[in-house]
Amino acid sequence: MPEQLLTVLKICLLILLYLFFLRVLRAVWAEVQEPVAADSGGSLRARTPAGPTAPQSPRKRHKRGAIRRLVVVEPAAAAGTAHLLASEMTIGRAPGCTVVVEDQFISSVHTRVFQREDTWMVEDLGSTNGTYLNRRKVTGPTVIHKGDRVQVGNVVMEVR
Amino acid sequence: MTIPASARSPLALRRRRTELGLIVMALVIIGSAYTLASLGRSASIPADIVPFLLIVLGLFVAAHLANRRLAPHADPLLVPLAALLNGIGYVEIARLNQELAAQQAAWTAVGIAGYLLTLGYFRRVRSLERVRYTFGVAGLALLMLPLVPGIGVSIHGARIWTRIGPVSFQPGEFAKLALAVFIAGYVVGNREVLSMATFRLGPIAMPEPRHLAPLLAAWGVSLIVMIFERDLGSALLFFVLFLVVLWIGTQRVSYLVVGGSLFGAGAVGTWSMFDHVQLRVSMWLNPWIDPLDRGYQIIQAQYAIAWGGAGGTGLGLGIPGRIPFQETDFIFAVIAEELGLFGAAAVLMAYVLMAGSGFRVATRARDPFAKLLAVGLTTLLAVQSFIIMGGVTRLLPLTGVTLPFVSYGGSSLIANWVLVALLVRVSDDAEGAGAGSGDEPTTVLAVR
Repeated sequence: MPEQLLTVLKICLLILLYLFFLRVLRAVWAEVQEPVAADSGGSLRARTPAGPTAPQSPRKRHKRGAIRRLVVVEPAAAAGTAHLLASEMTIGRAPGCTVVVEDQFISSVHTRVFQREDTWMVEDLGSTNGTYLNRRKVTGPTVIHKGDRVQVGNVVMEVR
Repeated sequence: MTIPASARSPLALRRRRTELGLIVMALVIIGSAYTLASLGRSASIPADIVPFLLIVLGLFVAAHLANRRLAPHADPLLVPLAALLNGIGYVEIARLNQELAAQQAAWTAVGIAGYLLTLGYFRRVRSLERVRYTFGVAGLALLMLPLVPGIGVSIHGARIWTRIGPVSFQPGEFAKLALAVFIAGYVVGNREVLSMATFRLGPIAMPEPRHLAPLLAAWGVSLIVMIFERDLGSALLFFVLFLVVLWIGTQRVSYLVVGGSLFGAGAVGTWSMFDHVQLRVSMWLNPWIDPLDRGYQIIQAQYAIAWGGAGGTGLGLGIPGRIPFQETDFIFAVIAEELGLFGAAAVLMAYVLMAGSGFRVATRARDPFAKLLAVGLTTLLAVQSFIIMGGVTRLLPLTGVTLPFVSYGGSSLIANWVLVALLVRVSDDAEGAGAGSGDEPTTVLAVR
C-alpha cells in the first residue's frame, strides 16, 4: 500500500475525529442557548405563571395588601429566598406548582395560598404531613397576616 | 415494556437523537481506525471488519436503546464520548496485541452489560442515597481485599489484584465508585454540621471533630491501604475525591486549604519513608540517570510521543513493543505516536468534554445528593485521566492508573461504564418530568 495513500487516509481519520467533536460542541451550544428556567442550583425554586420571578423587586405591584412575600426562614441553606405572592398559588413538589420545593416531607401539591379581596388565606390540600400556621395545624382555609409563619415539611416561611 | 409518555417530550427526543447521531459517527470513526490500523500493519483490509462493526454497533446501540427506555432525558454526550474512547482504545490494543484485544472486546461487552444493569437497577438516584453506608463499608472492604492472604496477588510491585478461583480483578476500581456514593451521601446528610465552625485550628475554623471523624476514618483507611498496596495513583485519586466533594458540599474553602496542606505533608512524608516513591520522583525529574532500567519506560514513552510529531506515524505504522505496559498505563503514548499531537489532543478533548458534561449534570441536578454524586464521579473520571496522561507526558510523577475506557483492563473498563451509567441516571433524574413530582411517596413526618 503506497505510503501517501495511508497518510491521506490518516488525515481523513483525524478530520473525522474533529468533526465528531464539532458535532458534540454544536449539541452543547444548542442546549446552552435555549432559555432555561432560572436555576441557581438551590433546593428551592419559584415560578410564577408569567415567567421567571424577580424576587428582588417585590415593591412594584401587589399594592392591595400589606402582605407581599413568603420568605424562607428554614432550612438555613435556603433562608432568605423570597417568593412573591400570586393571587392563587400552590406549594409542593410537583413541577407544576408555583413554588416547587424539593423536600421529601412535602407532598406533590401540598398547600394553596390565595387571595380573597383584601385578605390572604392558606389552605392545606390534603397533604401527608399537613400545613402548619404558627405551629398550629391548618384544617381549613385560614387567614394569614404579616409575620405569620407557614410550615410545610421542613420548610418554614414567614409572611412579609 | 412501554416507553413512558415523558420520553416523548421535546427535550428527550432531541437529546436521544443527538446521542444516536454521535454514536453512529463514533462508529464510523472506530471502523475506519480499525481498517486503517490493519492497512498500516499488514496492507490488507481486516478479514473480520464486518462482524467487528456489527458487534460494536450492537453494543453501543444497546446502550442507546437502554437510554431511550430507562433514561430518556439524560445527557446525550456521555455515552458517545465513552464509546469513542473505548473504540479508539480497542483499535490500539488490537494493533499491539491480538490476544489482549479479544479479551478487551469481551470486557467491553461486560462493561456495556454493567451499564445496562446499573441503569436498570437504580431507577432513581434516591435509592442510591439509602444504601450509602452499605456502599461505604463495601468500598472499604473491596479496597482491603487484595491484602487478604490467599486471594490477594502482587503483580509488578503493586498489591492491587484479587484472584478468586479463575477470576482475577482489581477491587479498587469498584471501591472508588462505592466510596463516591458514600462520601456524597455522608456529606449531604451532615452538611450543616460540617460547614459549621465550632473550633479553631490556628486561623482556620474547623467543624466539630465528631462529625468529621467518620469521614476522616474512611479517608485515612483508604489512603493507608493504598499506600500498603503501593497504589499511589489511586491514593491520590481518593484524596482529591474526598477533598472536592467536601469542599463543594459545604462550600467552605478552608477544607481545600487544610486538605492541600495535609497533602503536602503527606507527600513529603511518604517521599522520605518509601523508596519507591523517591524513585518515582527522581525518574520524573530526570529519567536519564538510569536510562536502561528504571528510566527506560518513561524515556521510551517520550521517544514515542516525539516520533509521532504533529500528525503521527499513522495507525499501525509506529514502532510497537518498545514501551513496557503499552496496552495499559502507557497507551496514551502509543496513541500520541500513531495519531500524533492531533490524535492525542482529540483524546484529551474527549475527557475534557466528558468532565464538562459531568459537571453540567451536577449543576442541573436539584437534589443535593445527586449533585454531589455527579461531582464525585466526574472528579474520579477527570482526575484519573489527568494523573495518567500527566504521568505519561512527564507533567507529573508517574503513578500507574489506567486511562479510563482506553487502557486494556476489565475491572477498569467495567467500573468506568458503571460510572457513566450513574452519571446518566443523575442526569435523567435532574431533567426528567418525574423529577421531584411525587413518583415517590411522601415520607411521613412525626407530627410535633
